[in-house]
Amino acid sequence: MKIIGSYSLDHSPSAVFAALNDPAVLLVTIPGCQALEQTGPSTYAMTITAGVASIKGTYNGVVELADQNAPHSFTLKASGSGGPGTVQADVKVTLAQSAEGCALTYEADAVVGGVIGGVGQRVLSGVSKKTASEFFAAVNRHLAGDRSTAAVVMQDEAGVVSIRKEATTQGATSLTSLFAGGAIALVGVLLGWLISR
Amino acid sequence: MTTKSFGEPILRKEDPRLVSGQGRYLDDLGHDALAAAFLRSPHASARILEIDVTDALDVPGLIGIYTYEDLEGRVAEPLPLLIPHPALLNGRTGYPLANEFVRHVGEAIVMVIAEDRYIAEDVVELIKVSYEVLQPVVGIENAKAAHHAVHASVPDNVSAHSVKEVGDARAMINAAPHKISLDLFIERSACSPLEGKGVYAIWEEDSQELRLWSSTQTSTGVRAAVAAKLDLPLQKVECIAPDVGGGFGVKIMHPWPEEVLVPWAARKLNRPVKWSEDRREHFISSAHERAQEHHIEVGFDDEGRILGLDVTFFHDNGAYTPYGIIIPLITSTQLLGPYKPASYRVEFTSLFTNTVLVIPYRGAGRPQGVFAMERTMDAIAKYLNVDRTVVRERNFIQPDEMPYDLGLIFQDGRPLEYDSGNFPASMAMLKEMVGWDDFETMRSEYAAQGRKIGIGVACYVEGTGVGPYEGGFVQVETSGRINVATGLTSQGQGHQTVFAQIVADELGVPIEDVFVTTGDTRRFPYAVGTFASRAAVMSGNAIALAARQVRDKALRLAGEALECDPQDLEIVEGIVRVKGDHAKSIALKTVAVLSNPLRYAFDESAKAATQFAVGDTSKPPVPEDEEPGLEGKDYYSPMSSTFANGMHAVIIEILPETAEVKILRYVVVHDCGRVINPMIVEGQIHGGVAQGVAGALYERMAYDESGQLQNASFMDFLMPYATEIPIIEAGHLETPSPLNPLGIKGAGEAGVIPGSAVFASAIEDAEGFDIRRMPISPSELWELRRTMKENA
Repeated sequence: MKIIGSYSLDHSPSAVFAALNDPAVLLVTIPGCQALEQTGPSTYAMTITAGVASIKGTYNGVVELADQNAPHSFTLKASGSGGPGTVQADVKVTLAQSAEGCALTYEADAVVGGVIGGVGQRVLSGVSKKTASEFFAAVNRHLAGDRSTAAVVMQDEAGVVSIRKEATTQGATSLTSLFAGGAIALVGVLLGWLISR
Repeated sequence: MTTKSFGEPILRKEDPRLVSGQGRYLDDLGHDALAAAFLRSPHASARILEIDVTDALDVPGLIGIYTYEDLEGRVAEPLPLLIPHPALLNGRTGYPLANEFVRHVGEAIVMVIAEDRYIAEDVVELIKVSYEVLQPVVGIENAKAAHHAVHASVPDNVSAHSVKEVGDARAMINAAPHKISLDLFIERSACSPLEGKGVYAIWEEDSQELRLWSSTQTSTGVRAAVAAKLDLPLQKVECIAPDVGGGFGVKIMHPWPEEVLVPWAARKLNRPVKWSEDRREHFISSAHERAQEHHIEVGFDDEGRILGLDVTFFHDNGAYTPYGIIIPLITSTQLLGPYKPASYRVEFTSLFTNTVLVIPYRGAGRPQGVFAMERTMDAIAKYLNVDRTVVRERNFIQPDEMPYDLGLIFQDGRPLEYDSGNFPASMAMLKEMVGWDDFETMRSEYAAQGRKIGIGVACYVEGTGVGPYEGGFVQVETSGRINVATGLTSQGQGHQTVFAQIVADELGVPIEDVFVTTGDTRRFPYAVGTFASRAAVMSGNAIALAARQVRDKALRLAGEALECDPQDLEIVEGIVRVKGDHAKSIALKTVAVLSNPLRYAFDESAKAATQFAVGDTSKPPVPEDEEPGLEGKDYYSPMSSTFANGMHAVIIEILPETAEVKILRYVVVHDCGRVINPMIVEGQIHGGVAQGVAGALYERMAYDESGQLQNASFMDFLMPYATEIPIIEAGHLETPSPLNPLGIKGAGEAGVIPGSAVFASAIEDAEGFDIRRMPISPSELWELRRTMKENA
């Protein structure tokens, strides 16, 4: 299954690139994202609660980042599974300067399996584009200073970092440094296919 | 005989029970049983790396989680290859639970047993399976290309290959005055019974006996397979098919993984266990059929008579071949239909793909064969500019050529020899009924209103009543109740009615007194199953033979009682009487009393049967070579199949803007020999035509390139409603079969067979361009129109 889409943001490609590579930003902007956990130099585990129509459930996903070419492009390799099904995808994201700020395009090549693949397929394409738009709109708002939702960072004794979403009125610290060299991006495009609100 | 019911449209005896909610289907049984649920593969091709059940173990109500590693003995072996064949070079079957590899979406990996299905399903969600996802093979083209293999041991994905020749077709085509070639394709569909599969098993620890119920088309087959898998004596296993909510082929396969695993778990846990399939499971883990790709070369003379026919086709058999290659074998033989090409060559290749397995679905390979042959007939007619029915008539086998040997071997291993049929008469009847010769007038009238219509025709011959045998048991109780049993199963065909009709006539009893049991190994342990339009032919004849035994014995005993020659007796309405002297009579139920001398009396009939009341004191109470009781058992085993036939015509209108196909008339001429119950035969035809319409215009299995079935629900799989099914005008021609005592032929599958062929013919007639792929959706037809216009 291939999904191609685009979105226009009001900020420069470098600002958008940085935001899309900032897990704390992603956590608060990806619809349904519950938690993130670093599992390797450029791999992260995440938990998303999502659903299409009546098929809802919690997904555990693994995200790997590749081909980073800031601020122009990167590739996201992700896989997720949960009660309702499985997702495996490569998403190539390209950013370009535009009159409005940043013209973002994405090309996703995905295999959607399980119940969601057989039952939700008919609405997946529409839902995914809608969710992607919601996600980029949230990124756009975040870059404009909207901090209505923020992330809480935790580090356990073994040094594993995890982030959980928590509604707060306090400003959140940027967590980019905790994910040195790594970036999690556009998981919303991917797992967000499974989200319908 | 006043009670004659054979040939009458008698209302179905089973319907009052079924339509008033008194049916007992698989899921109506075993409410207190433990429930099984299955974790099934989300991938079309993968290696299982790890199965992590940690999170699942704490769920209250969980009884057990089983993976391949937990299976024992023969349960851990591959499932049987039911129908081996010399051409099936690389038969492969799966395991009850996947052993390292999964080869299609939906393959069972883990079985969960819990207090109820809700808990079992919850547990399934908590089990984590890690996979190494492999490149899947989806579709005939990818299977042929073989860049990847479904089974590593079969690198070219070819499970079977067969070439059959009658005459030198290729030389005949080369030498023919005219030749054309066609490339054809038919997409997948599936049986889609209203009730999915299901199994319920009870293990009796004290007696070490297993009783299981399965929603199956063969309870004897399931019984034998489960006994073998569980290493139990056959006598310790009984299998019952309760009311079955449709089969259409998918339930003839056995044992399904669940039919092995559920009884295995019931014995292991010593608790009743039940599983009933949900709709999504049925879509992805039962079976499909139909996908084939044909290439045809045909040579013919100036009249359109076929001199040489050379068919090469590819058959998609899915991931495994437990049911062998019955489908392509049927396609390759039944393709010929009512025609007699001077020479014929057929070559098929059966291919593995990473999709759910392929086994017969009503019609079983015939719709594809008929599509190929009938497209060829239409193409010849178009080439020669001759009426389509005329080309067909010129190629018909004639009535005086019957029986007609086509020189091939049929699916039952016997020569393909048509026993009877009158094809010219069938065609004449069809043309008359549909108004074929006046159609051009109708076309002009519609055209004048700006409407586009077309007419199509398609013919088929169907081998029915395949062997090896079925049996029948008939017993008269002293109450006058007649018990009838046969081993094959019922899935809604009306067996309780038609078998009762046969017995009522043979025995001379009211049909109300006849009670038929099917598919219960406790009542009749020898049987094959209900498939291939065989139940009426096989069990019908066996039951008739058994009833004749009972009748002979009844007349003999009554003759002794009435002191007259049995030949002078008749049985009418359950009374044995002297022909012409009705006062001299004895009730059949009294004969039943006389047939069974008793020592102990328990009611009035029994009192009359004690050894002090009946019999000749100079002979033993049960004479030598006789058995007590008024009952008989017999078997029917034919030399070969009997061939039914039919012809369909459809008039359609295609909407100019949307390319939607509307059916204006659908006419069927059907010849299944002597008809036991015309209402039931028509019902079978109606259901078949509905599935034919479905396969031609609506249903398909939308696998994506990664082997995900994208329309695995009734939201997306377009099974037509009653609103899409036309009024069906049916005409019966009765050419009795000379092969069996009742002169009958099968009727179960007939209606579906010419569906794709007749609609392709009509659409082509309406639009004027070739139709080579079915099913066809409005958008595909619209697109075809556009490209044809562009190319014109």
